[in-house]
Amino acid sequence: MARPLLQRLGVREGLARRFLVACLAIGFLALITAILAAAWSTKRSQDHGRWVTHTYEVELAVTQVTTAIERAETVRRGYLLSGQQAYLDSYRNVAATLDPALAKVTRLTHDNPQQRGNLLRLRSQLGQILAYRNQSIALMAAGRQQAAIDAFVAETGAARMKTIRATLAAMTAEEQRLLAIRDRELQDSVTIFYAILAATGVLLLLVALATLATVLRYTRDLSSSRDDLRDFADTLEELVEERTADLSRANEEIQRFAYIVSHDLRSPLVNVMGFTAELDTATIAITDLIDRAEASAPEIVTEDARLAAREDLPEAIRFIRTSTQKMDRLINAILKLSREGRRTISPEPVDMTAMIQTIDASLKHLTEDRGATIAIDGTLPGIVTDRLAIEQIFSNLIENAVKYLQPGRPGRIVVRGERTGSRIAYEIEDNGRGIAATDHQRVFDLFRRSGHQDQPGEGIGLAHVRALAYRLGGVIDVRSELGKGATFRLTLPAALTETDSPRSGEIS
Amino acid sequence: MTDHRSVSIVMIEDDEGHARLIEKNIRRAGIMNEITHFTDGTTALHYLFNDKNGPALNGPALVLLDLNLPDMSGTDILAKIKSEPALKRTPVVVLTTTDDKVEIQRCYDLGCNVYITKPVNYESFAQAIRQLGLFLSVIQVPDLEGQ
Repeated sequence: MARPLLQRLGVREGLARRFLVACLAIGFLALITAILAAAWSTKRSQDHGRWVTHTYEVELAVTQVTTAIERAETVRRGYLLSGQQAYLDSYRNVAATLDPALAKVTRLTHDNPQQRGNLLRLRSQLGQILAYRNQSIALMAAGRQQAAIDAFVAETGAARMKTIRATLAAMTAEEQRLLAIRDRELQDSVTIFYAILAATGVLLLLVALATLATVLRYTRDLSSSRDDLRDFADTLEELVEERTADLSRANEEIQRFAYIVSHDLRSPLVNVMGFTAELDTATIAITDLIDRAEASAPEIVTEDARLAAREDLPEAIRFIRTSTQKMDRLINAILKLSREGRRTISPEPVDMTAMIQTIDASLKHLTEDRGATIAIDGTLPGIVTDRLAIEQIFSNLIENAVKYLQPGRPGRIVVRGERTGSRIAYEIEDNGRGIAATDHQRVFDLFRRSGHQDQPGEGIGLAHVRALAYRLGGVIDVRSELGKGATFRLTLPAALTETDSPRSGEIS
Repeated sequence: MTDHRSVSIVMIEDDEGHARLIEKNIRRAGIMNEITHFTDGTTALHYLFNDKNGPALNGPALVLLDLNLPDMSGTDILAKIKSEPALKRTPVVVLTTTDDKVEIQRCYDLGCNVYITKPVNYESFAQAIRQLGLFLSVIQVPDLEGQ
């Protein structure tokens, strides 16, 4: 249940994250586009402003040309009519401003072929009119006023002036036309700018909405996941309790089964052993009879009868006896294990060093007989656990170590312990004959033994040890190499509480 | 008990073999009283309570009781015997394979007079039964008719 929930959350988280990143990227792109559009639009405005100024400059220059021409004409007329030198001076001054004005117009409009054409026409028209003007002024200077006036009248001055005015007006109109085009262009670019701005605005709005929606949904998902998790945590407790109850029940059942089996097996065994004993007694009587018959009337004793009474019967009885005795020991072992499982565990502080010393003392005769020593490496951490159970575990393991020595090597058994967090690992290391790797698990099974069967025992000790270790909430395993010794490692909770140990029910 | 030949022994034991071994060893101890054997609780209870030769109606008796019976628990029989006024003084010897402390306590609480665990080892078993026989030969069984 937990895994799909977390997976689902993970997938959604990844998707949402990618979507948000995409939204942010789109948003930034839209902003950059808007900024670029603004820059472009500003540039267009500036360009347009320059062009407007340019147009006004051109118009101003054209006006200056017009003014110069018109004023020159007016002043010339005054001179022609009055003949006063002041008018001539004025004319010369005004005429002098024409060329710079024209040059200015030329410079400003050199990029426009149409204006260039207009200018060319203007220059030729001006050239003609200037020629006439100079001619009339020369006549005046020669004192021939009448001739000058006649020439003035004769010249098509007014008409020429009109064409010049028309040319100048055309030039102004051309500039106005260009300005109108540029105005339109500006208008267009402004429109485009606003369009881009509107588009990016809409895009940003969409991105913002999508992001908001995603974040909201994601948050909703998160909170629902959190609720799920909380519910899950709540149910987990129940689940664990249920499982524990199931396990306890199963354990109880196994204990009960073991008890009933071992208990009920005893009953027929009593019969087998009892009647074997009866048979044995009867055999003695029969053997006695055979002996007496052989002594008094050897001819009635057959070979078969003699063999049956003296060999077959005692042999059969012997085998039945040894087998039933073995069966009795096995049944007692099962009974003992099942009893151990039903015993109430009562945790108390245990001084491990003192306990090992007690075990050492109790095994004194055995260690002296076998030539083995038991030592504690460093200090053994104390533990809170069931005293009887842990004592049985250690005395079993140490006794095994003393029993299974490597021939020709003095036994050395080392006990050490180390606390890691809330658990303590004890090790019982020996230099004995070791256990083959294939037997490392098997030795903990009931009635299973390893190696050469030269020691008395039923294969119960380690099964008992493992059952006890489990009951104390611990585990036991072995590291060993054949011929090089074995190390049994027992890991137990540092402080056993009643709930740590698998409970088992009372058997009535 | 040799003086109380009228005292009959009621043996409630589901295992024929056990019953036979018990009987043999009791006889070997010199007890010659009549032994009535039952292999289940129902017929045993019927005999104890209702049979005209049974202890409730006819004379003193001693009950040898096994706890593991096919149809009911021996403790139920014990409880029934000890709650019946006509039978409650009848000595009950529980002779069973169970050596569970709780079970032993329960039997004594219910009024059992002797609790013996059958030894698996036959020598011990035979010895225990013979000693029980010797014990039976000296104990006094109340005369039920006299009450």
